[in-house]
Amino acid sequence: MRGLGVKAARIAIVVALFAIWEILSRTGLVNPRLLPSAFDTLATLGDLLQRASVRKDLAVTATEVVTAFALAVPVGALIGFLIAENRYFADVAKPLLFFAFSIPKSIFLPMFILVFGVGFAQKVGFGFFSTIFIVIMSTTTAVESVKVEHLTVARSYGATPMQTAFRVYLPSMLPVLLEALRISMIFNLTGVILAEMYASRDGIGHQIATWGENFQMKQLLAGVVMIAVIAIAFNELVRWVETRCSHWRT
Amino acid sequence: MQPLANITPLKPAGAIEVRNVGQIFRTTTQDVVALEDVSFDVKPGRFVVLVGPSGCGKSTLLMMMAGLRQQTSGTITISGAPIPEPDPNRVGVVFQEASLFPWLTAEENVEFPLALRRVARNERRAKARDALKLVGLDGFGKRHPHELSGGMKQRVSIARGLVQDPPVLLMDEPFAALDEQTRMTMGDELLRIWAATGKTVVFVTHSLTEAVYLADEVIVMSPRPGRIVDHLQVSLPRPRTYEMLSGDAFGSLRDRIWRHIRKSA
Repeated sequence: MRGLGVKAARIAIVVALFAIWEILSRTGLVNPRLLPSAFDTLATLGDLLQRASVRKDLAVTATEVVTAFALAVPVGALIGFLIAENRYFADVAKPLLFFAFSIPKSIFLPMFILVFGVGFAQKVGFGFFSTIFIVIMSTTTAVESVKVEHLTVARSYGATPMQTAFRVYLPSMLPVLLEALRISMIFNLTGVILAEMYASRDGIGHQIATWGENFQMKQLLAGVVMIAVIAIAFNELVRWVETRCSHWRT
Repeated sequence: MQPLANITPLKPAGAIEVRNVGQIFRTTTQDVVALEDVSFDVKPGRFVVLVGPSGCGKSTLLMMMAGLRQQTSGTITISGAPIPEPDPNRVGVVFQEASLFPWLTAEENVEFPLALRRVARNERRAKARDALKLVGLDGFGKRHPHELSGGMKQRVSIARGLVQDPPVLLMDEPFAALDEQTRMTMGDELLRIWAATGKTVVFVTHSLTEAVYLADEVIVMSPRPGRIVDHLQVSLPRPRTYEMLSGDAFGSLRDRIWRHIRKSA
């Protein structure tokens, strides 16, 4: 009952936000040229999704995001694992990683353009760069979440290194890793879209930047809603897997 | 005539021999002698308790008997053979709290040693059920550790130690984190399980009462360097009862251990 009430309240807030948006625009409290109404925006979103060019842009962005993610996660996880497993590496590298993580990645974007030119490699490269630090840091945290007691138990029952990896390390780390995956995707998406908005010939980020420059507010807002929905959908999917895999975490 | 020196006499399953065992921890600044010249025998089926203040190396010694750690000098044999690495067919180990895998159910935790050896699922399940029944947890197999009380968790740990039916069970302060009442109950339960299975048990604790209550023999150790200061027989009849705790025989044994420990503390 309570869960239901919370859900209803959540939906009510979202509906209210859209309603306020609609009212602000319709009544002219905010200039409708700056803030087109919610209905108009959603209608535009429907139109845009029918357009072949927009679909192509979405496909381009999706390919970039998936490529950057597929590169950054295993590479970052491997580096993070090696760092966490070696005390000396951990002592040396950890503060440096924190330094690197604290620098805003966007200031390096011009360098990516100079090195890779404008195109696929530059966007994927920047997405990778934006993502890898958080993956490394989360993986070290995940490895550290493995309890020594559990490793001793495995050893006392004669577990091979492979069995220890799959039966102790992996399940211990899974909840932290899934959370890392979710947060990494936020960084990854931000990186790729920023790269597209800054300098690109295609991709949905480029489209949104163009709509903005041309004062096409309906399209711009529709693009915002589109990307928001995609990001939330991915996030919720991983969160759903997370709750299924970490029910034992209390 | 052939010399007979090379022939090792067959030791019955469950016998433990500890001979002149020493352990030195080398640090950058100094060498710390953790164990010095420790020797004792455990006959099959006996319940032996190692007791002593923290830092006397009793847990270290137990880890060596489990093959989880190697001594600097001396030898340890279990059922007549040395134990250079863990051997779950010879030795089951029960650890302190929090050693169960929280992502597995009680049953899956007990099955874990069998799963490592690729025992068929049906056989695994049947053996795990039997072991859980033995420790009094019939019907709790599907629960996860966080759904079990502290005492129940340690029962699962014991079942996991017994599931491969090794002749020796090593227990490292298994009830240290439990409250007093649960601890007493678990002591009685352990004695019941021990009587039912006939295992050799070596049990580490820092509780004098627990030591005397459970043991056939108590080995008292002193710290820095860890060595044996007394090895006493507990001749109280079995089954042990709560009333014995206040008896003279119990009290004098307890006092004797306490005097050793007070001296070394």
